[in-house]
Amino acid sequence: MRNVFSRSSSLLRKLLAVILLAVTLMLVDNFTLWLKPVYSAADSLARPLYWIANIPLRVQEWSANIATPRSEIESDNLRLSKESLIYHGQLQRMSDLAAENLRLRRLLNATELLQDSVLVTEVIGVSANPLRHTLTIDRGTDDGVFVGQPLLDAEGLMGQIIEVHKRHSTALLITDSSHALPVQVLRNGLRSIAEGSADYNRMNLKFVSPTADIREGDKLVSSGLGELYPAGYPVGTVLSIASEPGDNFLKIDIDPSAEIDRSRHLLLLYTSRDSAADAAK
Amino acid sequence: MESDNRGVAIGLTLVLAVILSLMPLSGDWIVWKPNFLLLVVMAWVIHWPNDLGILFAASVGLLADIVLRMTLGHSVIAFALCAGAIVLLSRWSQYLSMLQRTLLVALIISSVAVLEASVFIFYDRPSGIEHLPLKILLSMLVWPFIDRLVARLQPKRG
Repeated sequence: MRNVFSRSSSLLRKLLAVILLAVTLMLVDNFTLWLKPVYSAADSLARPLYWIANIPLRVQEWSANIATPRSEIESDNLRLSKESLIYHGQLQRMSDLAAENLRLRRLLNATELLQDSVLVTEVIGVSANPLRHTLTIDRGTDDGVFVGQPLLDAEGLMGQIIEVHKRHSTALLITDSSHALPVQVLRNGLRSIAEGSADYNRMNLKFVSPTADIREGDKLVSSGLGELYPAGYPVGTVLSIASEPGDNFLKIDIDPSAEIDRSRHLLLLYTSRDSAADAAK
Repeated sequence: MESDNRGVAIGLTLVLAVILSLMPLSGDWIVWKPNFLLLVVMAWVIHWPNDLGILFAASVGLLADIVLRMTLGHSVIAFALCAGAIVLLSRWSQYLSMLQRTLLVALIISSVAVLEASVFIFYDRPSGIEHLPLKILLSMLVWPFIDRLVARLQPKRG
């Protein structure tokens, strides 16, 4: 019996020591940057593991491509050619409108519109922690990626780069609970903050008063305030609006435009503001 | 030699668990994914409670925090608590059937997960507690395979 008690007390001592050490590590990790080199080294070491973990997905994509009949590929090709033609036509009209807008802005002595360029990138890993929405992409400092750079998919804003390594980078997604971005309603320019909710299919709109002109189905775009995300990129659509008695603000759910948990090929955005900053350096 | 073999077997199972943890899943599956590293650690501790205990679990927890980018120390506590509970019950757990062992593991994992979620809720952060029942259920379904794999990989004693 004495053996059991001495074993339990030794176990408890060990457990307390481990918990104390873990709490110290948590404090160091949360309030200092001392452990950044450790994370950076671990990221590089874990890269082959990310590659291996992606094999089933690659095999699935490869087998889907192999299994696609030739007729389907041909019809896809035809459809894409038509779409490309339509988009080129729309782009010509956009160029005309952009030039006109620029002329009007010059007349008003306003800042010139930014011309954005993009770089295609592929997702090579996603966070294993479901409450932390980050992903790893296959571009790094070698490709001119920088911290704070916006990331898009074909449908809308995805997030921003938070860590850059030589050949890969980590991005924080807009649905992460620690992420917030300034947005405006496309219909009337109403400004607000879209905050992540730790759910890949939901975001929340903050600080919208009950008297504000906002409706379900309203499209939200980045407002450009805060100078991190450029203005005008799709963020999401208002899904539901709820008002609870006693609350100063509405409870608004947003459906993100980007396919946050599905997109594999993304775009890194370079604005002319970034290029100007680089040139100044 | 025996401990060398065991080291290799532990390393292999841990690498496999890390790969399974990093495997991308879409939709709700990602929040229901079992904590493979924790299950592997628990399986090893159940089979070797005298040699692999809290310190082993805490070390793997630290590795999990670094590789899976959690707050450092988060998994250390969770893994150490689970291992501590198993070591404490090791005199009895050796005689349990697979079903009873699965239920024990589910009970320990749920207790630690609820504790973890309470801390998150206290700090007003998303806890994912609504996904817990299904996550535990999937962990229970996966457990027998991990338990058998570890039992097969471990070197024969004496």
